[in-house]
Amino acid sequence: MTHATETLILGLLIGGVYALLASGLTLIFGVMNIINVAQGALLVLAGLLTYELWRRFGLDPIAAAVVTTPVMFAVGWAIYRLFVARIRTAPVSMTVLLTFALAITIEGAMGLTWKNVFRSVTPGYFDESFHLGPFFFPKAQVFGCLAAVAVLAGLWLLLTRTWAGRAIRAASQNPQGSALVGVDFRAVATLTFAVGVATTGVGGSILSVLYTLFPASHYLWISRLLGIVVLGGMGSLPGAVVGALLLGVAEAFTATYVSTRWATVVFYLVILVVLLVRPQGLMGSRLRGDVVT
Amino acid sequence: MTGAVGLRRAAIALGGLALVAYPLVRLDDVYGQSILIFAFLLGLMASGWNIMAGFTGYVSIGQSAFLGIGAYTVALLALRTGVSPLLLAPLGGVAAALVAAVLGATVMRAREHAFVIITIALLFLFQTLALNLEGITGGSNGLTLPLPSWDRDIQNLPFYYLMLGLLALSVLLSWWIRRTKFGMGLVAIREDEDKAAAIGVRTPAYKVLSFVASAVLIGVAGGVYAYYLSFIDPRGMFDILISVQLVLAALVGGRGTIWGPVLGAFLVVPLNEATLNLGAAEGLHLFAFGLALGAVVLFLPRGLIPTVQAWWERRHPRPVAWERRAPATTAARAPAGPAAAPGRALLEVDGLAKRFGGVAAVDGCSFTVAEGGLTGLIGPNGSGKTTVFNLVTGMVRGDAGSIRFDGRRVDRVLPWERAHLGLGRTFQVTRLFPRMTVLENLVAPLRGFSWPNLATDAVSGPEARRAGELLDLVGLAPLAAEPAGQLSFGQQKLAELAQVLMLEPRLVLLDEPAGGVNPGMIERIAELLLELNRRGITFLIVEHNMPMVLELCDPILVMARGRVIAEGPPAAIQRDPAVLDAYLGEGWGKASRPDPSSQVEV
Repeated sequence: MTHATETLILGLLIGGVYALLASGLTLIFGVMNIINVAQGALLVLAGLLTYELWRRFGLDPIAAAVVTTPVMFAVGWAIYRLFVARIRTAPVSMTVLLTFALAITIEGAMGLTWKNVFRSVTPGYFDESFHLGPFFFPKAQVFGCLAAVAVLAGLWLLLTRTWAGRAIRAASQNPQGSALVGVDFRAVATLTFAVGVATTGVGGSILSVLYTLFPASHYLWISRLLGIVVLGGMGSLPGAVVGALLLGVAEAFTATYVSTRWATVVFYLVILVVLLVRPQGLMGSRLRGDVVT
Repeated sequence: MTGAVGLRRAAIALGGLALVAYPLVRLDDVYGQSILIFAFLLGLMASGWNIMAGFTGYVSIGQSAFLGIGAYTVALLALRTGVSPLLLAPLGGVAAALVAAVLGATVMRAREHAFVIITIALLFLFQTLALNLEGITGGSNGLTLPLPSWDRDIQNLPFYYLMLGLLALSVLLSWWIRRTKFGMGLVAIREDEDKAAAIGVRTPAYKVLSFVASAVLIGVAGGVYAYYLSFIDPRGMFDILISVQLVLAALVGGRGTIWGPVLGAFLVVPLNEATLNLGAAEGLHLFAFGLALGAVVLFLPRGLIPTVQAWWERRHPRPVAWERRAPATTAARAPAGPAAAPGRALLEVDGLAKRFGGVAAVDGCSFTVAEGGLTGLIGPNGSGKTTVFNLVTGMVRGDAGSIRFDGRRVDRVLPWERAHLGLGRTFQVTRLFPRMTVLENLVAPLRGFSWPNLATDAVSGPEARRAGELLDLVGLAPLAAEPAGQLSFGQQKLAELAQVLMLEPRLVLLDEPAGGVNPGMIERIAELLLELNRRGITFLIVEHNMPMVLELCDPILVMARGRVIAEGPPAAIQRDPAVLDAYLGEGWGKASRPDPSSQVEV
C-alpha cells in the first residue's frame, strides 16, 4: 500500500511537469488551430541549451530557465513570423507538414551540434531524495514539479488577468469577432506561438535533470504531449492539466508494476481510445470537426 | 492539350521501357539496381500515401509504419513456416489493410487533426511493439531472413522486377480509384466534407476504405523489401525518415495527381544518395530532408505536375465552345421522375427546434410539404429558413421535434442516408467542389451505398452519360471539362441543381436559387424548375425574389422568429397582416395610424 501511495504521488509529480510541457502545445492549438509537431523537438532543444549552460558555466539547470525562456520565446516568435505566418490560411494538412518539417530539421541540427549521444544534467541534488515518513521523493522531481506549477500559474494569470491574455482567449474563440473589436490577430498569433514555445524554456530545464536528452527523443515527447492534450481536449489548458495528471499517474503505475518499457505505450493507447470513443477529449470541443452523429 | 497528353504518354512509355531494360543491359550494376529498387519502393509508398492525403485530403505522417507491418508479418510467417517470403508478401498487405481499417475507424467521427495524431501514434506504437515483444520479434536485435534460393548470378533481378511491378500496380490502383464513384467521393470529401455527405457520400466508409487502399500495397512491398534486405529491425522498418521522404516525394511531384508521387520519388532518391555520400555527419541527413520538406510546403505547395500544368494552360488557352442556348424545356430531355402521388404530404416537420447558444434559430417550427408541388418558404433574414434546411438534410441535428420524409421519421438518420431516400438540396452560396470539373461534380453524388456501386466507373459509361444529359438540360454541356470554381455564380447555381438531380431526388430544397443571379438567368432557372416539377420532382424553395416566388410557388410558407407564422396561396399571403408584421416590424400598422401612446415615446 505504501508502495502504491508512493507511486501515486510520484505520478502526480510527473504529471505536474507534463502539464507544463503540454501547455504550450494546447495553447498554440487553441488559438491557431495548428498542431505544432515541432513542440517536442523545441523542448529537447531547450534541454540541450540548459545542458550547455550547466556544462560551461555551472549554471543550475532550473535557474538556467531565466536565460532559456527568453531565447525560446524569440525562437517561437521567429518560427511564426518566418514560416507559419506564410501559410496561416492554408489547409490544416499543410501547417502540420510544415511543423513536422521543422521538427525533423531541428532534430537534424541537434544531431549536427550535439551528436547522437545521451546527455543529462546532474546538479548536486539530482540523486538526492526527500524523506517523508515512509516515503521517498527524488528532490529533482519535487523541484521540477514546483517549477512547473509556478510557470503554469503564471501562464494562467497571463491569460486571465492581462489584456494580452484576454486578446489571446478572444482570438481563440472567435478570430473574426476579436478582429472587429480591435484585436490584431497577427500580433496575437505571434505572441501565442512565442509564449507557447517559451514554455519549453522551463520545460527543457526540468527535462535535462529528470530525463536523458537525445536528439531523436523528441518523438517520444511529442507522442506523450499529444496523448495528454488529446485526453484533456485539444486547446483546453485545464484539460491539459487534468490529462497530464492522469497520464502521469498511469505511466508511473505502468512503469512500477509492469515495466518502464511499456510505460510509453500507455500514451499511444490513450490517443487511439480517446479519439475512437470521445474525440473531443475530457474538456475540449475543437477536435470534433463534425456536426453529424 | 492533345499534344501535351501525347507527349506525356510517350514519356511514360519510354521511362517504363528504360526501367524494364536497365538491369538486362547493366546486369552487374548492383549499386544502380539497389538505388532503383529503393526508388520504386518510395514511389509506391508515395503513391499509396497520395490516395489518402491527395485524394481524400487526410495527411498521414506515419505512413512508413505499413512498410514495417508488412515486413514483420511476412518475416515472422516465413521464419515459422519456411514458406518463401515472396509467396507470403500478400499477407503483409492483408496485415497492413487490417491495421489501417482499425485506425481508420478512429477518424470516422473526427477530422484532419485527429487523423494526423493517429498516424504519429501508429508509427511509434508499432516501433515500440517491435522493440518490446522480444520473444516474437527479436527486439532490437531484429530478425534475419533466409537468403534467396535462386542463383546468385541473377542477384537482385527478381526483387527489381517485383518492386517495379508493385509500383506499376499502385499507379494503376490510383488511376482506377480516381475514375470510380469511390474516387469522386474521396475528392469530394477533400473539397467539402459536409457537402459530400449531403449528396449521398457515406463519408466514414469512404475514409476507412481510402486509408485501407493507401496501406495495402505498402504492406505487400514491406514483405518483399524484408526479403531483399534479409535483415529487419524496429528502427529501420518503422523509420520516420522514410515517412518524410515519401511525403516529400508526393508533395514535390504533385499531391492528388496520379504520376506526381512517382516523379517525386525519382527526384528524392538522388537527394537521398547525395546527402548520404556527403559525409557521415550525424543529423545531416535529417537536416537536409527537413529543410527540403519545409521549402516545398512553403514555396511549391501544389507540386511540380500541377504547377507545370497550370503554366502550360496559361500559355495555351483553350477556347470554350460556348453558345447562348434557349432554355432547355423539351420534355424528352428532362429526367423522368419517380411516380408521384400529388397532394400527399412528402415532408412533415413538427415542433422542430434548434438553439445556437442563446439564440433560438428554429423554435417550434411545423409545416408540411405536399408531394408534387412547388412550395415557397419566405421570411425575413434570420428567421431560420436556412437552419430548417440544415435540419431537414441532417447537416445540423435538432434539439427537439420530428421530421418525416415520405412517412418515415428521418431526424436521426444520417445525412447521406437522407440523400439516398431522395432528399436533395442546393446552397445559398453554392457549394460545388471547386477543383473538380463540372462533370466530376455531377458524378460524385451517390444514390445508394453498396460496395459494387463504389467501383462503378464514373467518368465514362452510364453515369457519365446521365451527367451529360443533365448538363445538357441545364445548358452547361460545353463547360463539362472546366473546373467548377471557374464558373460564374449563375452557372454554379445551375450546375449545383444538376448535381442534386443526379440523386434522382423526390424532394429538392433550393436555398435562394435566384440569389445573386442575373435576370436572364433567373427566368431560365424558373422555367427549369417548372419543367422538373412537371416531371414529378417536389420543390421547397427559399427565395427573396418576391416576383419569382409569387409566380412560381403555391403554397407559400412564411417564417419568422424560427417558426412558420402563415401559410397559403400567394394572393392570401400578400394580404396577410401577420406577414407584413414579420417583414416590416411589429406594430408598423399601428404606427401608421396616429396613436397617442407611440407619440409619447417619440
